[in-house]
Amino acid sequence: MFWNNKRLWGCPVLLKDTYDAVIIGGGLHGLATAYFLARNYGMTNVAIIEKRYIGFGGAGRNTAIVRANQRTQENLPLYKEALELWPQLTKELDFNLMFYNCGNLNLAHSEAALKAMRMNVASAQFNKIDSRMVDPKECKELVPALDISDRPRYPIYGGMYHPPGGIIRHDAVVWGLAKGAAEHGVHIHQGTEVKSIEVKNAKIVSVETSKGKIYTPRVLNAAGGYSAAISYQMLGIKLPISVLTIQAMVTQPLKPLLNHVVSSGAYHCYANQTLKGEIASGAHMDPWPNYTTQTTAYYIKHQAEALTEFLPCMKGVKFMRTWGGLADMTPDMAPIMDGDDPIKGYFLDCGWGYFGFKSSAVTGKYMAQFMATEECPDMLKPFTLRRFVRNRLMGETAALVNYSPDN
Amino acid sequence: MTLTITCPICGKRNGYEFRFGGEEKGPRPAEKDLTPEQWCEYAYMNKCVAGVQKEWWFHKDGCACWFTIYRDTTSNLEVANPGEGDRRNSHE
Repeated sequence: MFWNNKRLWGCPVLLKDTYDAVIIGGGLHGLATAYFLARNYGMTNVAIIEKRYIGFGGAGRNTAIVRANQRTQENLPLYKEALELWPQLTKELDFNLMFYNCGNLNLAHSEAALKAMRMNVASAQFNKIDSRMVDPKECKELVPALDISDRPRYPIYGGMYHPPGGIIRHDAVVWGLAKGAAEHGVHIHQGTEVKSIEVKNAKIVSVETSKGKIYTPRVLNAAGGYSAAISYQMLGIKLPISVLTIQAMVTQPLKPLLNHVVSSGAYHCYANQTLKGEIASGAHMDPWPNYTTQTTAYYIKHQAEALTEFLPCMKGVKFMRTWGGLADMTPDMAPIMDGDDPIKGYFLDCGWGYFGFKSSAVTGKYMAQFMATEECPDMLKPFTLRRFVRNRLMGETAALVNYSPDN
Repeated sequence: MTLTITCPICGKRNGYEFRFGGEEKGPRPAEKDLTPEQWCEYAYMNKCVAGVQKEWWFHKDGCACWFTIYRDTTSNLEVANPGEGDRRNSHE
């Protein structure tokens, strides 16, 4: 197998001048949509236009955590199906996505956080998702390295344990979906930049790229961090998005220590141990919009302080690497999935912030249905862009991360 | 991500002393005959410029002053008003 240098997603192809659909962004959402368009709807004349290389953006920069313990009734079924799709996709794509179904433990450091967790757990259980409350002793049983004494600044009051979650190798998902899409005949054009989008009579006509013009009736904006800028610059459609850099880092490899994903809203910190033994850990977003993806000593310090508070055995462990990615945040912390409005053939799959990874495959499935049938699936209806005009924002901002010992 | 911001009262300070206040969108629309579209545009919609934008800041750990600056979102550096530069050129 080592002498086979052939790319998983086929040889580079020349850009054709017509496609049935053009997908902007070779990230997970774009790849998944292309894959399902071809597999479920026989729409194989599809191009993915990626400025850099597939998996360059958020797809390769997230901390690979998957879970379905969100806050609102609109989000939960989508994430539930997302979790159930990973094992199926592994088989279907004939590619090991390395789904490590280790479960997520979310820590509460106040009565307010415990109350919010009860609400989250009830919502999850109503949707038949396994999620339960645990007390500090049970937290300690799940993760023996936790400090449940009253030594930390914010002692552990309890937690929310969500067994179906876990981690997936994010690169494997990129490669698997690219392979699957290419096998169905999708063209993946890397190193190709979108320059402009032409609209006539409120209908998509063509897309101008750095490698030539493509005539197409459908365009999907799945450009992640750059989706809002593309939408405004090329079509004049503003989106309720702020683009923020979010940072993550990994430590040196350690012996098995964390057999669950551990997260804490109060400390703004989440951590999991990768299959290589590194502790991958993420921080919150920069406090002001920027496209830099730069990392800062400020967050490395914050992360070290947070981790060593509730996992004291991490003291002295060294961070090996740190990186940043872009999160396109909406005001209600829920994504925007919409299409044919106000421009026929213009589809949106953006505003995914820092939670676009967990839902990528299932979103691709439903966006493909939307694009192929031109009818919005019920699952995606609540995520319309129109909710902002109606002032009907979703309640995801009430998710646990915002409950701190201060409220 | 290091950022220094020039407060009109306190001068050049560390960015963490400030709170970001959003993109400059002009004056708040009048309440009379306000449509949901206009309000949505003002309250939620952003241009998300990858480049220089005019934006609001609040000096939360300082003089509590609200002001605007120009910043390049791709380099995270405060820059001079690009419009002023143009005017100066046109006078020459």
